[in-house]
Amino acid sequence: MATTSRREALKMLAAAGGVAAMPAPAAARQVDPVFADYQTASQTDPWTLVVRDAPANGFDSQATLVSGSAPDGLAGTLFRNGPGRFSRQDWRYRHWFDGDGFLQSWTFDAEGLRHRGRFIQTVKWQAEEAAGRFILPALASVPPQPGGLSGPDDMNVANTSVLLLGDELLALWEGGSAWSIDPNTLESQGARRWGGGLDGVPFSAHPKRKAGSGIVWNFGQDAMRDRMIIWKVGPDGAVLDAGIVDDVPGGMVHDFVITEHSLVFLVGSYRFQQMRLPFLDSFAFDAEAPMLAIAIDKNDWTRRRTWELPPGFLFHFGGAWEEADGTIRLDAALSQDARFAMAGAYDIMRGLAETQTDSQARHMQVTLAPGGRSRIESLGDGFIEFPQIDPRLTGLRRRETWHIAWDVDQPRGATRIERRNLHTGERDAFDHGGSVFVEEPLFIPASPTAPEGEGWILHTALNTHAEQTELHAFNAQHLSDGPVASWRLPYACPFGFHGCWRPG
Amino acid sequence: MNMMTHALLATVLTTAMASQATAAEGAATLTLEIGSVAPTDGFLMVGLYNSEASWNDGTAIAGTRAVVDGNQVTVVFADLPTGTYGVKMYHDVDADGEMDTNLMGIPSEPFAFSNNARGRFGPPEWTAAAFELSVDGSVHTISFE
Repeated sequence: MATTSRREALKMLAAAGGVAAMPAPAAARQVDPVFADYQTASQTDPWTLVVRDAPANGFDSQATLVSGSAPDGLAGTLFRNGPGRFSRQDWRYRHWFDGDGFLQSWTFDAEGLRHRGRFIQTVKWQAEEAAGRFILPALASVPPQPGGLSGPDDMNVANTSVLLLGDELLALWEGGSAWSIDPNTLESQGARRWGGGLDGVPFSAHPKRKAGSGIVWNFGQDAMRDRMIIWKVGPDGAVLDAGIVDDVPGGMVHDFVITEHSLVFLVGSYRFQQMRLPFLDSFAFDAEAPMLAIAIDKNDWTRRRTWELPPGFLFHFGGAWEEADGTIRLDAALSQDARFAMAGAYDIMRGLAETQTDSQARHMQVTLAPGGRSRIESLGDGFIEFPQIDPRLTGLRRRETWHIAWDVDQPRGATRIERRNLHTGERDAFDHGGSVFVEEPLFIPASPTAPEGEGWILHTALNTHAEQTELHAFNAQHLSDGPVASWRLPYACPFGFHGCWRPG
Repeated sequence: MNMMTHALLATVLTTAMASQATAAEGAATLTLEIGSVAPTDGFLMVGLYNSEASWNDGTAIAGTRAVVDGNQVTVVFADLPTGTYGVKMYHDVDADGEMDTNLMGIPSEPFAFSNNARGRFGPPEWTAAAFELSVDGSVHTISFE
């Protein structure tokens, strides 16, 4: 057996005095069951490509137009971020969210569509790449023979999202600093330094840019101490204000929404219990804990309104707005528990599809009315994720949300994208069929002054039949007509989480 | 997800500075060779501990403030009883006598421990940082790297 021969080889090397040259401790050389399961699954199931390691040097290629023609006026770059490295030395991370940040750019220009992928050169990536093994504890995994930490940024994987801020691209995580990236080359420039005692303070992965002013609002969570950091950043990247808001329970808060007057958080029932390693084990789902909606006054962070909702959990919002009487309306992908974070995201690392379908997210509209009254209404059947809106209407009354969608008999996830009119309930959808698994659909306005929803939807996808990654462009108002253009890469990329668009 | 706050360490070292070294019975000399100090100015604030209890509650038995004038700094503790010791230190880069932290309470000035021990979600355990000082004295190397 391979293990035995490895052990014997180690012994021989040790006898020859060569063990110091071995890159990893012997413990790491035992067969890792997660690694072994993934290897087995990946031999027969191409869907496992969504969590395959990207090459350390990244990707560079020209995408091939496989159908349709590029929409007139579509010029710019789609940036996407997500976990791209899951295993080293036959040892595999336990949880999807652990992987090192892998940034991709898709640039539409006169020559067509150019793809680039680069690992973000975090402190962690550089140390582990040099050592040839995982060293640092990750969010939900502790590798064999782990080293220590001097602060959260030592384990920062910058793997969740991206934000364009002035001339800078920031790769975002939620436990530490944003990572500064040159958007033209995808070269890393180190942890973002804000100054003023804010270096190293968590800057979460779903900042919201206020329509018109360009002001960016964000938060960072300190779940251990039931508090939030609030960030208010100018369009040039200068911090306008930042501070701590206490008494926000330590639910795992991934996203938030803004309205004209408020910063709105839904604190789910997946709550910090006590410090454990790996860090994710510090959280547990408390089926008795109500989900809390907390609206913090943008102009006075000590003023808040709170609502109690049924227990539940969420990762993502669509958007929100506030009525004249203070009523807040928001839409989100809500689930009744946190089993995706607690089970599904572990299973996928073994190459196993999600089977606990009863706990996946559904599209809900939440009304938070004065006096603590609230209402939750379903916006559609089936499961949804990655809700997106026209970014020009962030925080304002709007009509539409785009998202990925799938049904109970699709344990491998979404093959469909949908548009939902929040006011009329109208649904517009396109299903790629069983072999194309879709990623976040991003809305690109046709022009700065185009009416709401007039523009394109861009989304990437894994074609498991071709075993290649695709990019599809749709008319955002006519998804059901199918893609207006589709491109394909000569390789498959690991799935990303979130993206942003730079026109130009 | 501020899981690693070292505010405790700041308190600990401040206490250490207040209880300056007093000559103890014994003859052993501990020399700390401290490397990879950057930037090359400010002060090193060094606290010395002689038991797990003193390590955990931050009661240093000796402490010193050493001038930084290069990337190597040597600190000597003389007249120490032989036994087991541990060292906590931080680099007071801006020379304000405090371990600076960011808004979340995470240290923003470099820190290090004996045995180059590192914590995971706080300072390292005593067992990871403890070392022996024999009657012949010893030179202990610590790096800020």
